[in-house]
Amino acid sequence: MEWIVPGVIAALILWLFLSYNRLVSLRQVTNQSWSDVDVQLKQRHDLVPNLVEVVKGYASHERTTLEAVVAARNAAVRASGPEASSAAEGALNASLRQVFALAENYPDLKANANFMGLQNELSDLENKIAAARRFFNNAVSEYNAMRESIPAVLFANSFGFKERGFFELAEADKAAVQVVPTVKF
Amino acid sequence: MGAYGLRTHIWNNLWKSALLLAGFPLLLALMAFGLALVFNDDPRALDYAMRSAASRWPYFFAIACVGAAVWFAIAWVANQRIIDGITGARPVTRTEEPLLWNTLEALCISRGITMPRLAVIETPERNAFASGLSRDKGAVTVTRGLLDALSEAELRGVLAHELTHIRNGDARLLVIAAVFSGVISLVAEMLFRNMRFRGGDRRGNGAAVVIGFLVIALAWALGFVLRLALSRRREFLADAGAVELTQDPDGMIAALRRIEGNSAMPAIPAQVRAMFLDDPPSEGWLAGWSATHPPISARVAALVRHAGGHDPGIATDAPAPPWSTPPKAAIQGNPWWRGKA
Repeated sequence: MEWIVPGVIAALILWLFLSYNRLVSLRQVTNQSWSDVDVQLKQRHDLVPNLVEVVKGYASHERTTLEAVVAARNAAVRASGPEASSAAEGALNASLRQVFALAENYPDLKANANFMGLQNELSDLENKIAAARRFFNNAVSEYNAMRESIPAVLFANSFGFKERGFFELAEADKAAVQVVPTVKF
Repeated sequence: MGAYGLRTHIWNNLWKSALLLAGFPLLLALMAFGLALVFNDDPRALDYAMRSAASRWPYFFAIACVGAAVWFAIAWVANQRIIDGITGARPVTRTEEPLLWNTLEALCISRGITMPRLAVIETPERNAFASGLSRDKGAVTVTRGLLDALSEAELRGVLAHELTHIRNGDARLLVIAAVFSGVISLVAEMLFRNMRFRGGDRRGNGAAVVIGFLVIALAWALGFVLRLALSRRREFLADAGAVELTQDPDGMIAALRRIEGNSAMPAIPAQVRAMFLDDPPSEGWLAGWSATHPPISARVAALVRHAGGHDPGIATDAPAPPWSTPPKAAIQGNPWWRGKA
């Protein structure tokens, strides 16, 4: 019977080790899935200047809209981490939508092959961003839940497992990500 | 431990299937004890027979273990050939099925997995399976019906499901489970068939023989239930692993919905069907216990709950969206392209 106390202590220590390792691995999943989102966001940032160039050729006097897009894009490039990107990418979404709305007034622009290609590529990217974002948010909520459960809650803060924020787009902009812009001829 | 998401869902299932697997040696020991009771040689009282069985069961256990090892060795050597022969799977090359091949290859590259052999069964049913007893000798087989019915994202989900089976070593696990429960059921069947003949020779204690038979029958039934429960856990694991690989729960869910009701392959023996993507159970009150796969609705519900997917609803017989075939110019401009342009 003298082995019971050491046995229970050993089991408790094992349990703590296991929980610590699980927390590390969940944090790793959130990091990895954030970098997957980030790759897609970067691709989109790289496409925006091309879009601006194409639109300039047809509608150079729509300067305010184009400047707004460039400013939003630069802000989004500077933003790092899910929380900062949430706001910046939301703004970029909104201004991109303005550019596509503006194109409605320029039939030549709408018919331009480059413009159409960019539009398709951007909407394809937005679908991919939506999927990657969902996966990331799922991983974050799992990590946060694990962090707040016993026994992880006892040591998570002291070992530097910080709560992670979600990557949210503002409510109005979610629609923009999900609805593919229609192209009419 | 509760499941908060995909990873914890996977850990839970790994833990449960480890427990189930640990049950098999215990069952073999239980059967050995039953055998020692049946072949007891002490006609005095029941407790004498019990005591003699308790001291003699390790011999029966050792013999059963040797039998299981031999059986496993045979299964190891013959497994892939038997499966190919039964299912009529035909290996395909990159040039024959470029899109299928490229989709699988992209998944393998993204996680550094050896590309498994790829084969196709020419039937209209929608199903797929993974085989191969070691990680680098895996094979993924899909039916023609599946290829024709699924969209690119859905097929990616199915292939990722099968790759996860290979990565988790599930074919090997199922063979181990089948050998254990096979040894038990072989012994049980031999005993029960010869029950009448043993009735004549009453050297041992009669009550002990009856208890021995009951113990063996219990081990037999538990072995059956355990094997199927293990198989169902591994399916949940492969679904979750597929979503981890593709990061697209909706593709996997839609694929499951498209397969629902179109996956029955009655011509294939049940032991091989256990390895397929889906194996609809026979009707009846035992259906839940005797199924090798969880019902599609339970698999979809697990993905919705733990992987954040959306369920499009009951099976869509609507045609899948067309695949994004690479434009001809791009193919012909690529000097490494060896496919049909």
